[in-house]
Amino acid sequence: MSYSSVFKEHLANPRNVGDLANATAVAEETNPVCGDRIRISLLVDNGRILEARYLAYGCPPTLVSGSVLTELIMGMTLSEAESLTRAELIDRVGGLPSRKHHAAALAIETLRAALNQVSQVISEGRQIESR
Amino acid sequence: MANRHIYLDHSATTPVDSRVVAAMTRALTETFGNASSVHGFGQQARAAVDRARREVAALIGARQNEIIFTSGGTEANNLAIKGLSSDEPGHIISSAIEHPSVRGVCDTLEDRGWDVTRLPVYENGIVRIDDLKKAITTRTSLITIMSANNEIGTLQPISEIGKLVAAKRAEGQKIWFHTDAVQAVGRIAINVDDLGCDLLSLSGHKLYAPKGVGALFVRRGVRLRSQSIGGHQERERRAGTENVPGIVALGEAAKLARDEFSERTSHDAKLRDLFEHLVAERIDNLVFNGDQKHRLPHLSNISFRFIEGEGLLINLDLQGVAVSTGSACSSGTLEPSPVIRALGHNDELARGSIRFSFGKDNNEDDVSFAVDVLANSVKKLRELSPLNKPSVLELQPLNSR
Repeated sequence: MSYSSVFKEHLANPRNVGDLANATAVAEETNPVCGDRIRISLLVDNGRILEARYLAYGCPPTLVSGSVLTELIMGMTLSEAESLTRAELIDRVGGLPSRKHHAAALAIETLRAALNQVSQVISEGRQIESR
Repeated sequence: MANRHIYLDHSATTPVDSRVVAAMTRALTETFGNASSVHGFGQQARAAVDRARREVAALIGARQNEIIFTSGGTEANNLAIKGLSSDEPGHIISSAIEHPSVRGVCDTLEDRGWDVTRLPVYENGIVRIDDLKKAITTRTSLITIMSANNEIGTLQPISEIGKLVAAKRAEGQKIWFHTDAVQAVGRIAINVDDLGCDLLSLSGHKLYAPKGVGALFVRRGVRLRSQSIGGHQERERRAGTENVPGIVALGEAAKLARDEFSERTSHDAKLRDLFEHLVAERIDNLVFNGDQKHRLPHLSNISFRFIEGEGLLINLDLQGVAVSTGSACSSGTLEPSPVIRALGHNDELARGSIRFSFGKDNNEDDVSFAVDVLANSVKKLRELSPLNKPSVLELQPLNSR
């Protein structure tokens, strides 16, 4: 299958690139087999994702998955973001060939690692200050 | 998305030359007979095949009856190696950077009990004669080493290998030497007597002829076992009705490659050198792969640090520049280029390598357009890459450490 117009547009103009200096949580995950890597930084306030940034190294689906995912989660509540699945992300990028599904899986895994950090902060009773 | 399209992948395949198309069209419409038929139509086709055979032979300094037409380079390589390997397992010597059509056949022979030595290449991408001398044993019956590598373009010491094989044969050893010259023919001067090879593979579509036709040079006196059973075509060494239009196209392409050899090679080298000069001026953190002197004149292979080859390739493609990469990420398993790894480079460099290969129809404007697109794409992908940024530990908020 060929890539969708959404895919090509995000590849040409990736959104939300970079790190967040004032991040609530930063997670970076690597696919140990192929070496693809995604980093996601989140700024969370009152249970809602205010800002998201990403960096990625790897094949085009990995680069695009990070871009689409960060765009998708900004403004979501933590529970909404936690419920996102690989299949939903694949749908949002306009479909991926099955051999490239691992790219969306890596993006979701990285998001969940970042959300776990946020949960840890909350469960330890530390207030996430309003910024 | 792109308005302009620049083809810089001539090592993958070349566009068919309009003069080749014209010759092939005549063969399709006028010389349509079966070359084995005895009537006039057949004899016309036979004459066209013979003319093409003379042209291919002339391109590589061979005799007409030493050329076998095949369906391409892969079949030529298969026929050469399988055709010389007896049922009784022996020893074969190859290199670590062969094309899959040679590497795969050697792997198959190994499964059947053959000993296979794969000579290493070093940082320059070239095998060493001393390694070959040490590898040859009394059981060695075949050496198969490519003339020029398909990914980095490095030229192997073929004539030195030819001399070594001749010396061994003079001592009484029954040993043959095959070279896969698919990337080399038409790009560098090839003369089978100067090289001292017994068999040589070539392919039409690397020479501005269409896909589906190639040839194997088999030196007179070499007994080759046919891999296809059927008719008596190609002097009993390749059964099957001749692909007359393809063969005619290859003959025309071979003639043009010989007539225009100097013009083409100097043109390609000039563009390649200009390209590399501009790239080095505008992009940092890169590695030019393989020996920079002993290499094909039209090819440049570069690893770009911090970015992955497929990501760069698709970015270039969307902006109208077609290139190729030796690595591919599929189903979560990445196969970094085995050729770049054989140079001793790490996975990051092996994953970030791109091959640019120029052709006779490219011009300086193409080069400058491609360099602009490349510089912008590399900049963008490096901004996106976590590999050249502070580690995640330095960025994690204090309350989560």
